[in-house]
Amino acid sequence: MRGTDTLDALTAAIEHGRRDEAVALMRAAVAAGEPPRKMLDALAAGMADVGRRFSNEQAFIPEVLTAARAMKRSMAVLEPVLVDAGIRPEFTAVIGTVQGDLHDIGKNLVAMMWKGSNYAVVDLGTNVSPETFIEAAGDYGADVIGLSSLMTTTLPAMQRTVRALRCAGLKARIIVGGAPVTSSFARRIGADGYAKDAAAVVRETRRLMPAG
Amino acid sequence: MSNATLTCEATLTGRQRVQRMFARQDHDRVPRHDTFWGETIERWQGEGLNGDARHVLEMLGSDFHQIAWCWPAPLAGRDQVIEVDAQTRIVRDGHGKLVRYWRDRSGTPEHLGFDCDSREKWQRIYKPALLDSGLQINPPAARRAERLGREKGKWCYMACVEPFEQTRAMMGDELTAIAMAEDPEWVADVAEAFTSEVMRNLDAVIAEGAWPDGLWCYGDMAYNHATFCSPKMYRELIWPQHRRLVQWAHAHDMKFIYHTDGNINAVIDLYLEAGFDCLQPLEAKADVDVRKLAPRYGDRLALFGNIDVMVMGSNDLEALEAEIAGKFQAGMATRGYAYHSDHSVPPTVSWATYQRLIELVDAYGRYD
Repeated sequence: MRGTDTLDALTAAIEHGRRDEAVALMRAAVAAGEPPRKMLDALAAGMADVGRRFSNEQAFIPEVLTAARAMKRSMAVLEPVLVDAGIRPEFTAVIGTVQGDLHDIGKNLVAMMWKGSNYAVVDLGTNVSPETFIEAAGDYGADVIGLSSLMTTTLPAMQRTVRALRCAGLKARIIVGGAPVTSSFARRIGADGYAKDAAAVVRETRRLMPAG
Repeated sequence: MSNATLTCEATLTGRQRVQRMFARQDHDRVPRHDTFWGETIERWQGEGLNGDARHVLEMLGSDFHQIAWCWPAPLAGRDQVIEVDAQTRIVRDGHGKLVRYWRDRSGTPEHLGFDCDSREKWQRIYKPALLDSGLQINPPAARRAERLGREKGKWCYMACVEPFEQTRAMMGDELTAIAMAEDPEWVADVAEAFTSEVMRNLDAVIAEGAWPDGLWCYGDMAYNHATFCSPKMYRELIWPQHRRLVQWAHAHDMKFIYHTDGNINAVIDLYLEAGFDCLQPLEAKADVDVRKLAPRYGDRLALFGNIDVMVMGSNDLEALEAEIAGKFQAGMATRGYAYHSDHSVPPTVSWATYQRLIELVDAYGRYD
């Protein structure tokens, strides 16, 4: 198999969540000395493809999760090669579910999509206070902060968190999302971006940070 | 405004009203029911509500009365408190799930871990435990509750948790989703086993002599943009168990109400194929809209809810009136519509707003 064929097959294996096949193809690509950046792009392309299908309701949470699993296992093979080549994550993202809210599946999907796009992700979990967001964003030098809320009752906490992050003077862009969140609410509370689902968050991140 | 002045006059009993709604026969007003977050009731008590959620339902004129709740767990009665702090309590529950609850407020608990994390563990521990568990419902209590509901003229129902929700409760969202894609026979087996247990429990209530009017089946199959799994996957893995539950209900002359949040627009045809009689609560922010559904499905599927809690929570009374007027008009055109909020009423809604809502439901919900 030619190098481009291997990488195309890797992209397809990621997109369709064929974990063992993806790992085997990644090993083959590494053994063949494929350029690390191209291998990384092949992984990201697979996640982007499943993300597009997710946004179009052609793929659903099971397909996204199996793709993310395949990506994670393949990335484990690739990571030492990336380190040797000096390739670092494109952005650092800090993510969490806002204070008072214990939901996590939406946040986890966003974290997976970011990781699949070569972002370093710091997942703060659920019920995260504004102070914890500020501290983590500063400690890790976050480029982007993702805030999730699943309940109407915790939307005020999202607003408080955005306000606190602004007051702290952090440079990171803030993207919000979750079931009760709308683009107009995002604008109203002063967030930089809004993502209607986990796939949209990658597009929104690129829109906010096109030079990245 | 006193509580008493808001209670609506009735010309039919609640039971008659709901039965006529299901039959698409003329009735006096739309049937009504609602649910509330605990903090909402606390707020309202501070704003003048003299009573609790039951009193609010009486003021609303609720037509529905639950007689039993059925959520069988493999390790029922073996809850273990693992840790308690000032805000939360961590418990290993009867599904083997490690879960953190808020101590002083309602809201969905956080799932910290799931012991049933493999097909092997399901077959070795959880399935045998589930199948060996005794009755997890109290038939004499259900019978007594039914008598009480009948005395009040209410439409009596048993409530149960459906197999997708049961599977997620035991295995977690992520493993459930991955297993649906990678080991579908496992998920189908779990769904079949839980459904059989639910039916065994419900049968015991019937054997006690109760004869409720409906089965209200709870499960959240969707989030705000789509269903958790594809319609095809739903059809293959979960739908057969939904159809079993519907067939059980219909065999006992009961109607089948299905509760799910989220955007379920893509699977409504499958719900109809399974024989569902009613959908509730029709979450507005998930693009579910009775004005679109009623013309298309209203003759075959009763629509229950859809009044947007976000609009309620704005406390904008003009917007609330427009919300109720428009949706009631669409739903009532089919004679197959009942009032419910599109989720649970949140504490952003003031007591004054909810009292106004009751007036609006009464004003716009009359068929005269």
